[in-house]
Amino acid sequence: MLDPTDPIDSVPNALGRRYLLKGLGAAALGGALVVDGTSAAATEIAHRSVADAPIDGTASPNDRVPYLGVHQAGVVNPRPANGMLASFSVRAETLDALEDLFKTLTMRIAFLTVGGPEPQLDPKLPPADSGLLGPIIRPDNLTITVSVGASLFDERPWLAPLKPKHLLRMTGFPNDALDAALCHGDLSIQICANTQDTTIHALRDIIKTASRQLVLRWKQEGNVPVVAPGLDGRPESARNFLGFRDGSANPDSSDATAMESIVWVGKEDGEPAWALGGSYQAVRIIRNFVERWDRTPFGEQERIFGRTKISGAPLDMPDGHESDVPDYAADPEGKKTPLDAHIRLANARDSAAARNLILRRPFNYSNGVTKSGQLDQGLLFIAYQANLESGFIAVQNKLNHEPLEEYIKPIGGGYFYTLPGIRDAGDHLGSALVTAARGASR
Amino acid sequence: MRFHGLCGAAALTLALSSGAFAQQANLDLVEPVAEYKLYVSEQVSKLVMDTTAFTAAVKAGDVAKAKALFAPTRLSYEAIEPIAELFSDLDAAIDSRADDYENGEANPEFPGFHRIEYGLWEKNSTDGLAPVADKLLADVKELDSRIAALTFPPEKVVGGAAVLMEEVAATKISGEEDRYSHTDLWDFRGNFDGARKIVDLVRPLIAKKEAKFLKTVDANFAQVDGILSKYKKGDGYVTYDKLTEADRKVLATAVNTLAEDLSTLRGKLGLD
Repeated sequence: MLDPTDPIDSVPNALGRRYLLKGLGAAALGGALVVDGTSAAATEIAHRSVADAPIDGTASPNDRVPYLGVHQAGVVNPRPANGMLASFSVRAETLDALEDLFKTLTMRIAFLTVGGPEPQLDPKLPPADSGLLGPIIRPDNLTITVSVGASLFDERPWLAPLKPKHLLRMTGFPNDALDAALCHGDLSIQICANTQDTTIHALRDIIKTASRQLVLRWKQEGNVPVVAPGLDGRPESARNFLGFRDGSANPDSSDATAMESIVWVGKEDGEPAWALGGSYQAVRIIRNFVERWDRTPFGEQERIFGRTKISGAPLDMPDGHESDVPDYAADPEGKKTPLDAHIRLANARDSAAARNLILRRPFNYSNGVTKSGQLDQGLLFIAYQANLESGFIAVQNKLNHEPLEEYIKPIGGGYFYTLPGIRDAGDHLGSALVTAARGASR
Repeated sequence: MRFHGLCGAAALTLALSSGAFAQQANLDLVEPVAEYKLYVSEQVSKLVMDTTAFTAAVKAGDVAKAKALFAPTRLSYEAIEPIAELFSDLDAAIDSRADDYENGEANPEFPGFHRIEYGLWEKNSTDGLAPVADKLLADVKELDSRIAALTFPPEKVVGGAAVLMEEVAATKISGEEDRYSHTDLWDFRGNFDGARKIVDLVRPLIAKKEAKFLKTVDANFAQVDGILSKYKKGDGYVTYDKLTEADRKVLATAVNTLAEDLSTLRGKLGLD
């Protein structure tokens, strides 16, 4: 099972059926689930979405997400309990050097997400692997998602003409207090896995193997709270550090058709041909003033978000379910859901707002203590969309000056373009970009 | 789902009954809020006067005089900070910090008091500060002209006292507000006076029912007063770095407790 030469699934979508059955098989080995393709449990897990909280007792170190496909893994598959976003500066002064970097990253992704024994070297040399996962690397649901920033193109004349049309250096919004040391980058790597050890192991592996081309700029780790299986079997969205469910209105990431229009860049988007199958990644490190939030009246907390805190149901149907759709047309004055409530501003639930849909994939972070002796906690916000301008940027512009701003402060992040997937074992990340750049230089 | 249903129903009943309660509370608060508005107008008039002198010194290139006027000029602004939310655009123009701008002090958009503070203390110069000073004075005057027509929602005024304590606890107690001049104790004076003013105005409304609460709040304000008076120098205060570790600890706990206690003031007054 851990042989890295295992035939690799070539399903185009990271949520392919074979993977799901395989994942279940792995869980069954741990005694958590009985595999039966038609059982209720299997159906439920097959429909799990990015926003759903991981369920206690279902994760296994053998969980494996295929790294091959038209799209990269780590975008539409459900979040495991741990995530990390690392931003790098890229040296790559030539196209060959850049290709070499993409090949190196692909090789490491192929090894780390499949697993296998770490190579044993002469003990007089430093070991090939940090060893923190032991001599056998297990996949642990690992995904490694590589994206590139505007500066990668802007600083390289031979690459600049190929920059995706909406890719730009993130600019501050009114409530931002951006710390230059936590912003931007030539390349971002999102690493997700069941355990933090696996994400750290992957990062250290990449730093060790790609140090010729990559310099780490900043990173932020986070996690998704694991929940007990729900009584009614319906998935629940994970809670953020403000205690509210986050992602109840996220589009269903198991719906491949919806993902094609919302998340993945297609022919109709007018992007450079190499970019097809990619996505825009918006990253924001958003500090939460949790002490202050905890001293805010319960009713005001609910009005700020527009949802009940306990169930996540919209305020106009407090007995409902978090997935119920609020009826704003019936509440034009905002008597039930204030007009400036977070969920109402972010998504008015009308046809215009449908053009601004994004897929959020956030993680909660807890870093330490501020200079003032307060908790440094918040949200590592990551969102994917086929159009950055009508996606994250439009949504954030609608949220500017929302009442929630008193309790949150975006301090870092950046915009990146998630490269198209690694199509097969002979392919590598960024191959279409490199080919296009080579063609243009001739 | 039954559980959620019950909770939802309970929340609804609570909201209905507190609606009536809130209406009464709003009536009771008419007078205190009107009085508070008067207080704010007086503070802003003083702010305009002081800022005129301060910016004149900056524009005249008189570094020593500008330095001497910086902290006392801010006092009246810091006193009205509980309601800064009501003029957040001007607050950003007058009192934002370098952290609010990418690349901090190097960002040409960094405005207001702290931009001038940076020039005066870090560069010991008024070079390039004249347009910043002009803009500051214009913004302060704009604030003055806005106050009369500004609506003061009672929950914002009462909530503002708590919010200011939150700000002190989150981003002032560390000394990061006046990081170049270290005149933070002046600001604290303004902040605590301004918050206390609000508590005093609503005091009669809860004096009987909440005697114990008020006693705790008063005790914490008194502790802060005690610390501040220890560091008095002339008309003002010594620099923040002179504060002993022990006193900083007392100040921090007093501020945190005040933030914790004052966060319940709105609810105690029946405000939603």
